[in-house]
Amino acid sequence: MLIAAALCPSPPLLARELTGADPVVPELRQACLEAAAALVAAGPDVVAVVGVAGEPGERDARGRLDLAAFAPALCSSDGEGSAGAAALPVSLGLGAMLLDQAGYRGDRVLHAVTEDSEAGACAALGARLSGSRSRVALLVMADGSARRTLRAPGYLDERSAPFDAGVTLAIAAGDLGDLLALDAGLARDLMATGRPVLQVLAGAAAGLRCVSEMRYGDDPFGVWYLVASLGFPPP
Amino acid sequence: MTGQRVLKLGSHAFPPGQPLIMAIVNRTPDSFFRPGLTWDESAAMARVHDVIAEGADIVDVGGVPAAPGAHVDAAEEIGRTAGFIAAIRASYPDIVISVDTWRHEAGRAACEAGADLINDSWGGFDERLAEVAAEFGAGLVCAHVGPQQPRTRPFRVSYPDVMADVLARTQQLADAAVKAGVDPARIVIDAAHDFGKNTWHSLEVTRRLGEMTATGWPVLVSLSNKDFVGETLGVPPEERLAGTLAATAVSAWHGARIFRVHHVVESRHVVEMVASIRGDRPPARAVRGMA
Repeated sequence: MLIAAALCPSPPLLARELTGADPVVPELRQACLEAAAALVAAGPDVVAVVGVAGEPGERDARGRLDLAAFAPALCSSDGEGSAGAAALPVSLGLGAMLLDQAGYRGDRVLHAVTEDSEAGACAALGARLSGSRSRVALLVMADGSARRTLRAPGYLDERSAPFDAGVTLAIAAGDLGDLLALDAGLARDLMATGRPVLQVLAGAAAGLRCVSEMRYGDDPFGVWYLVASLGFPPP
Repeated sequence: MTGQRVLKLGSHAFPPGQPLIMAIVNRTPDSFFRPGLTWDESAAMARVHDVIAEGADIVDVGGVPAAPGAHVDAAEEIGRTAGFIAAIRASYPDIVISVDTWRHEAGRAACEAGADLINDSWGGFDERLAEVAAEFGAGLVCAHVGPQQPRTRPFRVSYPDVMADVLARTQQLADAAVKAGVDPARIVIDAAHDFGKNTWHSLEVTRRLGEMTATGWPVLVSLSNKDFVGETLGVPPEERLAGTLAATAVSAWHGARIFRVHHVVESRHVVEMVASIRGDRPPARAVRGMA
């Protein structure tokens, strides 16, 4: 069953190598690392990483972030860095990176859902992951709207702020069931790619009491990044 | 390597080794660099006089900024560009005029007004643009924009190999243009820096631009004051000239043929200097040590 979860966003710039000389978002990176470390500290049998990708399904647990897809110059000719590991979609790749940075060496599974995955299917995946071992930790790579400001990747959509506020409130209050009601069409309009993954979390946590620790919530580039640690203490 | 060919634009036939400067004249109130500079039509015409006097070979007229912002429909775009192109043509019968548009309606109006080249900077979004170019005997720029739609920003875009994607897409667009009836001697390809690319991607296509010129298609580069320059140097738009010129020099060295620019004189000096270093152009005057 689910013993802990961590919520992190998945912008490529979370990888320190990609932002050049300027660390750009050190506080976001630190918050994510602390969330991953807390997840590992819970002593799980397995960490399940869930993220959005173009194709759904499980990925090679040995896979790693494909830095070269974003910065070809970082791929040295001898392949150093990737060491032949399967190239993961960015959300799962960043999740794998965070687990590595937290020093996690235990079992991990990597699951992708798509932007179109329906709430019911996402929740079912969450329930299945939660029930897979006796102590399951979930690393949820989920982003809010990318349309929060005029300079945002998707320009400004005024509906972004209330949408992200609703998600943030549900997480902070531990009311994860509320995430199942997120409007998929609205989320797509707002480029809020994390919607299906949040619903995986809701499915995994169904029936559990949730206590949240909010670590980061901001939109330095017009995309809502939320970092939180979730615990599930017995009633 | 496929050899570079003569590039035909309007009534001109430009040989390989003669770099061409395309001056940007935006009929917009809200483009990213010096916004509104040529929004007023008389200011825009004054700018045309200036850039031609400075040595521009091509004037590129655009009516819609690349970034998202206030909606500009086709009628509004045509209103901003077509009459202005006709006015340029009336003043300069021989200058090459380009229209920067992704819409076939605006391309058609521009060609009717005298445009010689359609700069399809959103990379084949409207497939009918090629038909318009063919119908009017105009040229066409075939640009790579990755997965991006017009007037959007790149969002977490990635490529297994960005240059392979650029080569495949520009070749596909060029082939489609030829099939639509565009004169192959009037087709140009463009990697479209910043479009569907992060800064690393734009640096990569600059470094590997020789792979594009090796196709034989004339290569256009649009580098001027763009974000990849700004992010690389950590400078705002008004401080990007030196970085722009560095990228211009590298592109010229790799054999780019058309340089779309804000700064005509400085760009002209760079491409001519590089052309001379390459051996494509004799010095303007060489007497040193030879008197």
